[in-house]
Amino acid sequence: MKISDYLELSFSNLWKRKLRTFLTVFGVTIGIGALVAMVGFGKGMQKNMTESFESLDLFNSLTVFPSGPTSQRFGFDPDDQVKPEENPKGQNVILDDEAIKRFEMLEGVQSVFPEIRFPALVKYKDAEELRLVQVIPARIASSKLIKLEAGKPFGRDNEDSIIIARSLLRSLKMGDPASVLGQKIEIASIAFDFTAFNPMDIPSFLQGNKLPFKKTTHEFTVIGVMGEMGFGGSSPLQSDVFIPPGSAQRIEKLPFTNIWDLFRARQGTLGYSAVNIRLSSPRTAESVKRQIQDMGFSTFAMIDQFNQIKTSFVYMDMILAAVAMIAIFVASLGIINTMVMSILERYSEIGVMKAVGGSDRDIQKIFFFESSSIGFMGGVLGLALGWVVSRVINRIINFFLAKQGLPFLEYFSFPLWLCLGAIAFAIIVSLVSGIYPAYRAAKVDPVVALRHD
Amino acid sequence: MTSVPQIIKTNQLGKIYLTGRVQVEALKDINLAVAPGAFVAITGASGSGKSTLLNLLGGLDRPTSGVIEVKGKKISEMNREELALYRRFGVGMIFQSFNLISSRTALENVELPMIFASTAKKDRKLRAGTMLDRVGLLPRRHHRPAELSGGEQQRVAIARALINNPQILLADEPTGNLDSRTSREILELLAHLNQRQGLTVVLVSHEVALAREFSGEIIELRDGRLESQENIR
Repeated sequence: MKISDYLELSFSNLWKRKLRTFLTVFGVTIGIGALVAMVGFGKGMQKNMTESFESLDLFNSLTVFPSGPTSQRFGFDPDDQVKPEENPKGQNVILDDEAIKRFEMLEGVQSVFPEIRFPALVKYKDAEELRLVQVIPARIASSKLIKLEAGKPFGRDNEDSIIIARSLLRSLKMGDPASVLGQKIEIASIAFDFTAFNPMDIPSFLQGNKLPFKKTTHEFTVIGVMGEMGFGGSSPLQSDVFIPPGSAQRIEKLPFTNIWDLFRARQGTLGYSAVNIRLSSPRTAESVKRQIQDMGFSTFAMIDQFNQIKTSFVYMDMILAAVAMIAIFVASLGIINTMVMSILERYSEIGVMKAVGGSDRDIQKIFFFESSSIGFMGGVLGLALGWVVSRVINRIINFFLAKQGLPFLEYFSFPLWLCLGAIAFAIIVSLVSGIYPAYRAAKVDPVVALRHD
Repeated sequence: MTSVPQIIKTNQLGKIYLTGRVQVEALKDINLAVAPGAFVAITGASGSGKSTLLNLLGGLDRPTSGVIEVKGKKISEMNREELALYRRFGVGMIFQSFNLISSRTALENVELPMIFASTAKKDRKLRAGTMLDRVGLLPRRHHRPAELSGGEQQRVAIARALINNPQILLADEPTGNLDSRTSREILELLAHLNQRQGLTVVLVSHEVALAREFSGEIIELRDGRLESQENIR
């Protein structure tokens, strides 16, 4: 028999029982629709994650920490599951300008900049906010790391320009990004001033008066506004206010950003709390990491964290697919039921087909083609259903996110392999479901079947 | 004198059915020989084993003992696939209840054996139309069995049985559901095919008078045994 004949026979047989065929196909449609939507959701989340990593150039990022017992407390949450790889020698190595020069010499390193942040009051007209101001070199501000919504990055390292993020814009009620360009912002920093401190006047000191601090104010021009940004993990950006290093040097500031810096200072290991390295390619991450660790420093590469996240996504995909498999299992029972019913109804027809020369294999294939036709139709319609459902869900989620001022995000992804795989899977499930009915049809005794009314 | 080669030959053919735990001996020691181009009628009372013998000759069933040879090939030793090929090309069968597929038109029913023979669709349509024309049913080709009379349905069944050009036609009580006039018309058609095309016809019928009128040889079965074999012409 020709394939075209099998197809024609199976479709004409299915067409004869339209309602039953429709209900069986509908069962497969729901199963495949659920599978496509759920796996599509997992893939969409993964795609968003990868794209945001790529857009921020985080795969090219490596963070170096000073080694020693307190090292891993800097830069990120100590409860974070992903720890920087510690110096195996357990020694204290200072992360200073000398170390930066050594890092810059390594092959695959594009640029190195220390993580410098200091506490300051950021003022705009009557509004003021306490922030950790981060110092970013002009060459880094021009990289993909900083995505500007308006304005431009620093031209030089010593200009009195400032880049702010949208979050600060909102806090200071400054208006929309384009309108704040060119506006003046004041940075009021605090520095030690022991000249005003009288050790004999302890009571005043304890009451909070006459503290050994002084406040200095500097004016900056808003040159750029960047979008939303996160402060967690070990992204090189840990603030929403950025100034270039030249201007930062002119500002008197406290030499620490947290309590651990003070402990380090007492141990005589004061250097940078972290240094960010931009790599020429993610492929060089491993070798650069090894060399820096050999120097005695601890390192953290975003690509390592990303690989762990990817593993979590695989688990998530598997759980989502397992849920959808329940629907597909129920659908396969529907196919078996339909096919067995079909054999009973067409018992004498099977006998006739055998009497006129149909072999067991021919009969088997006719039923396999029928069950796989159900699978194919269910697969195609399921794909369409999954897509429609995902569109609706995406709209609903984005509707609520838009109310909170968050940008539109595509939560579902339907790569080609998923679309083709879903249809192929539906056909495979249908073929497996058709094994028993097809076997049963092939074994029909023609003598008995021809006598069957 | 040289012996004429037989198209169908059975030797010590036996068939035992198992119904529950009871063994029923449907056929016993049947020795039969049918010459090419013969018109043989098998008669006997109900339950004498006529249809069982025809099913064995048609390759629909397997004997319990003995040998069946058709055109020199032992069909009793064939496997299921070989038997399917034999039914497809070697033999055509028609039945008392016509056994047409009710959801298909006359033309589609005649096409069916050609589908299993992998004949091209266009060729199938042409040959099925020609065959229906030969049995006088071309104008009714798009009718479903329910829209045809008993005689017309049996003609469609004959067209279907002969579409792959077999040399043997096995007819199991083909007139059992027909009135006497239509029965005669059907047997006339079979006799015509036998005489004009040299088709070997083995007819099972309990209507002895009608069988005697059209066949050249009468075989009588009784209780599964060959009672008599008589040449009429």
